[in-house]
Amino acid sequence: MKKLFFSAILGGLTLASCSSDDDLSTEKAEIEVPATYSFERNNTSTVSYSGQTTRIEMASEIFSNFLNFDGASEELLLDMFANENAPFSSADLNQSSKSVKSKVAASKLYFSSNTVESAEIRNDFESFIEVQFNEVKENKDQLAEAGKAGQIAQGDKARYVNSKGLEMDQAFTKGLIGGLLVDQMLNNYLSQEVLDEADNRANNDAEVVNEGKAYTTMEHKWDEAYGYLYGDPSIPSKNPNAALSDNDDNLLFKYLAKVDNDEDFSGIAEEVFEAFKTGRAAIVAGDYELRDEQVEIIRTNISKIVAIRAVYYLKAGKEQLANGEYGAAFHSLSEGYGFIYSLRFTHNPETGAPYISSNNVTQYLEDLMEGNGFWDVTPETLDTISEEIAAPFDFTVEEA
Amino acid sequence: MIKISKLLLIATLLFAACSTEDDGDNGGGTNGGDNFDRGEMLANWADNIIVPSFVSFQVETQNLEDLARAFAENPGDTELNALSSQYTAAYQEFQTVEMFQIGKAEELNYRRFLNTYPTKTEEIESQIASGSYNLELPSNFAQQGFPALDYLLYGYGSTEETLEVFTANPEYINYIVAVAERINNLTSEVTASWQGDYRDTFVNNTSSSSTGSVDRFTNDYVMYFEKILRSGKIGYPAGAFTGSPSPENVEALYAGEISKDLYLQALDSFEDFFYGVKINGGENGASYFQYLKYLENETDEESITASIAGQFSAIRAQSSELDNNLKSQVQTDNSKMLAAFDELQKEVILLKVDMMQALSISVDYVDSDGD
Repeated sequence: MKKLFFSAILGGLTLASCSSDDDLSTEKAEIEVPATYSFERNNTSTVSYSGQTTRIEMASEIFSNFLNFDGASEELLLDMFANENAPFSSADLNQSSKSVKSKVAASKLYFSSNTVESAEIRNDFESFIEVQFNEVKENKDQLAEAGKAGQIAQGDKARYVNSKGLEMDQAFTKGLIGGLLVDQMLNNYLSQEVLDEADNRANNDAEVVNEGKAYTTMEHKWDEAYGYLYGDPSIPSKNPNAALSDNDDNLLFKYLAKVDNDEDFSGIAEEVFEAFKTGRAAIVAGDYELRDEQVEIIRTNISKIVAIRAVYYLKAGKEQLANGEYGAAFHSLSEGYGFIYSLRFTHNPETGAPYISSNNVTQYLEDLMEGNGFWDVTPETLDTISEEIAAPFDFTVEEA
Repeated sequence: MIKISKLLLIATLLFAACSTEDDGDNGGGTNGGDNFDRGEMLANWADNIIVPSFVSFQVETQNLEDLARAFAENPGDTELNALSSQYTAAYQEFQTVEMFQIGKAEELNYRRFLNTYPTKTEEIESQIASGSYNLELPSNFAQQGFPALDYLLYGYGSTEETLEVFTANPEYINYIVAVAERINNLTSEVTASWQGDYRDTFVNNTSSSSTGSVDRFTNDYVMYFEKILRSGKIGYPAGAFTGSPSPENVEALYAGEISKDLYLQALDSFEDFFYGVKINGGENGASYFQYLKYLENETDEESITASIAGQFSAIRAQSSELDNNLKSQVQTDNSKMLAAFDELQKEVILLKVDMMQALSISVDYVDSDGD
């Protein structure tokens, strides 16, 4: 009801103020945002993000093999990361020309003229695999202690850590949320450099569709951003939030749901979804300013999710350490490590840069790994990092 | 909070709705109808740079064909060494014309026939073994040109080892002659076209539309810098796109030591063209530099010419860290190759976004990066 009233005012104002204008303006005033993420042209869906789903599936298979010390190997996981030598169980994935690695730290905005750093980041992910299948694997049947890799108990579970208490699978998975998903979404597909590249606007205005496809290039780029958040096969494409509490996602969507579950941030999932729908509808209507406003909303909120989870796990780890629950603490801190890694890929719309700079991220990670790493990290260090991460955002450490 | 965003939304919509039609034209700069003499610039490009560059290059390709024939007549080590060093000289000179892929060159697929690498060595071997091949076929882009000569002249080891391979099957030498001859013939055709009618067609098409010579050439010129110079000579070998370095993608892979020189020559020629440097000397002629300067006087935007010039210096400064053999560079310390790529990419943005927008030229090609 409120919404209808609002659009009525809006339509009225727009028409009244532009009497001399052509019919383009009325079109823009009538942007219809559908209830679900469904967009069609001539009765054919224009929504497509299979490439994102492919990469998410590849990532899932890597994660599921990280602790498979007997069945998997360093070579196999490195092959999966780069999609070389048919490493996956699915022939479709093996035949795909895509790989996770080629899109890690590969956004147009942050890395197109920064391939040196991009290569370092890809090396980091490869080194998580290498450490897992060397240092950690060699000690998999020994108890971990300060300076020594091995097992550590968390409840009835055995966690596997390196000599500093870090779980490599957590560093890899949570780091990939930033390095692949957030970076591609916020800094590639939602950037004007990509959405508006070459004749994209003119072609979108004239509804020039891609060869053999139902969508315009710009529509597709937007969907590709959408796919990095909602592309896991267990998430329904049109109404993803229906699966918030029940899905198999291991990446960003999973943590969107967790943050949404925290009453301090409830509604964030809806806000992000609304922004995706509105932006997509704005593209259909050729309203690029409205589109870019949605980009800001998405950039702000997705960045915030990463930061909230980084702080959340540092806090949890601090408390668990205080209680002497080392296994639980190391698990939390390992997740935190990955989310901190991911902060480098966030995007602050006010600066056009990450909320936390690359240098600061590196510094935090070094602080955590200093000496014997999680075995002797102090509560003060964890507090300081938490405060600094929360500072540029509109949430407090307590809320996270 | 919600109220503010709704107000903003209304304001935005009103603004969008009321904007006038001229948003539609390219970039919407102030210079839609500037008075810069495009014809003079096109004439300088054609008469003082492109034509003399092709003329010089053709001397080299003629020489290459002649020395290939001399080697065929008398396959000794002196002749082979003369041919090899002429290959180097011609490949170097080729870097001065590689960017001019317009007109006849475009029609003939000139660049693809002369410089598709990595070359397909197995197919070259099987074509030689069978003695039957048609170098005019597009399926034979990667079995001829300089990369094929590179393989044939440097791929078998020392001069003696190479001669051994060639004497075992005279078809090798026939193939070398055929490749050299084709390089020369294609070059003659392109050069003749510029010396003939095409020069006027090019220079007289001063329209500022997307079919005008300046628009079309600029797209080719910037695309060359992005795809051929940045990606081809540096980016692909460095694995800038895949994350996996591939030294086998280096230009002049087998001769090796000349690869950096080829890159630097391409860079020099590209930069000289930007400034309108005449091949045969004299004061610089009308150019992108002058055009941008001319436009800069009318606005008080940040100086694009200064940024572009600064970036050329940065690229050159970085290149001093590169090994003469780019293949070795990739294998020993690829981060220097990536650093070279990063500097080139910064220039791509200045050319493709800043310069082309200032000139009101829309980009007619896109990155092929799809999921």
